[in-house]
Amino acid sequence: MEEPPLREEEEEEEEEEEGEEEEEEADEAGPEGALGKSPFQLTAEDVYDISYVMGRELMALGSDPRVTQLQFKIVRVLEMLETLVIEGNLTVEELRMERDSLKKEVEGLRPDNKMVVDLTDPNRPRFTLQELRDVLQERNKLKSQLLLAQEELQCYKSGLIPPREASRGRREKDAHVARPGTARSNKEEKTIIRKL
Amino acid sequence: MAKKTYDLLFKLLLIGDSGVGKTCVLFRFSDDAFNTTFISTIGIDFKIKTVELQGKKIKLQIWDTAGQERFHTITTSYYRGAMGIMLVYDITNGKSFENISKWLRNIDEHANEDVERMLLGNKCDMDDKRVVPKGKGEQIAREHGIRFFETSAKANINIEKAFLTLAEDILRKTPVKEPNSENVDISSGGGVPGWKSKCC
Repeated sequence: MEEPPLREEEEEEEEEEEGEEEEEEADEAGPEGALGKSPFQLTAEDVYDISYVMGRELMALGSDPRVTQLQFKIVRVLEMLETLVIEGNLTVEELRMERDSLKKEVEGLRPDNKMVVDLTDPNRPRFTLQELRDVLQERNKLKSQLLLAQEELQCYKSGLIPPREASRGRREKDAHVARPGTARSNKEEKTIIRKL
Repeated sequence: MAKKTYDLLFKLLLIGDSGVGKTCVLFRFSDDAFNTTFISTIGIDFKIKTVELQGKKIKLQIWDTAGQERFHTITTSYYRGAMGIMLVYDITNGKSFENISKWLRNIDEHANEDVERMLLGNKCDMDDKRVVPKGKGEQIAREHGIRFFETSAKANINIEKAFLTLAEDILRKTPVKEPNSENVDISSGGGVPGWKSKCC
């Protein structure tokens, strides 16, 4: 009964679509719902809904020539709106795709379990674990030698070792140091001691 | 020539989370001093202290490990040579207590089977900030059949007692014999790969 006489075909389509939507998601609002949407969420479908609602209401105003004139302008405005909405949505979609691909690219540059090092940072990590291990071992070795030397010096000072025996004691001590505590080869160890 | 300065050499190891006070515990024992500034241990360090137990001079070579995870591979290589291990947590730091089971697992994986273990709840002078009740420390120690002390390096509570008890426990199961060598063997941990390339 309120079917607008004009654009009957279109209207039928719209009704079909409306029916589909209701089936799918129960879009309660119907064609009028498009008018309540945020302009940024408007789709081309919404513009068609709006045009349907407005067309129906214009029809109800009768066939006054002024109404007809207004109708042309409204159709023009709706076409412009349609273009803007479609354009806008395409742009959004393009930007989204671009963002996603950039994200992937960034992730590709920084794979999991990898570290990005700032080469201009003077405090950046640059030595290996093995190097640290070696330095620590050497430090501890020197420290133990210092302790031994201090101990020995203490013995001299307190007169526990007479100076004459000193050199013998010293050699003995060296020999002891050279004996490795672990199952490492004796030869290697002695080479090192000799070098020292 | 009797110039032996000690009868036995015991190697001890300190482990536990970063910041629980391992270095301070050791510093208190070795130098009877305390430093409030926190300097994170780099990898591994050691101190020597000679004590006398049951008429025997015992040289304690105490290895102090870095608690930070990033030094883990370095520190675990020192577990093997240890005869006694002190596992330290901080009574004001719940996380350090929770991690005890992790440290105990490390001992199982890397240390000698017959290593003497001991649990220390450090910073017991800070009772107002305590989050780990003494009973919980005692309980977990009992579950694992190890000794437990609450200590304070700052207030010098139980530090010497803990080290001497651990040394006594090791002494008890040490067969009576002459010391095998007089050197301070610093290569106890994980071989010395760096040396090999140097000497050829």
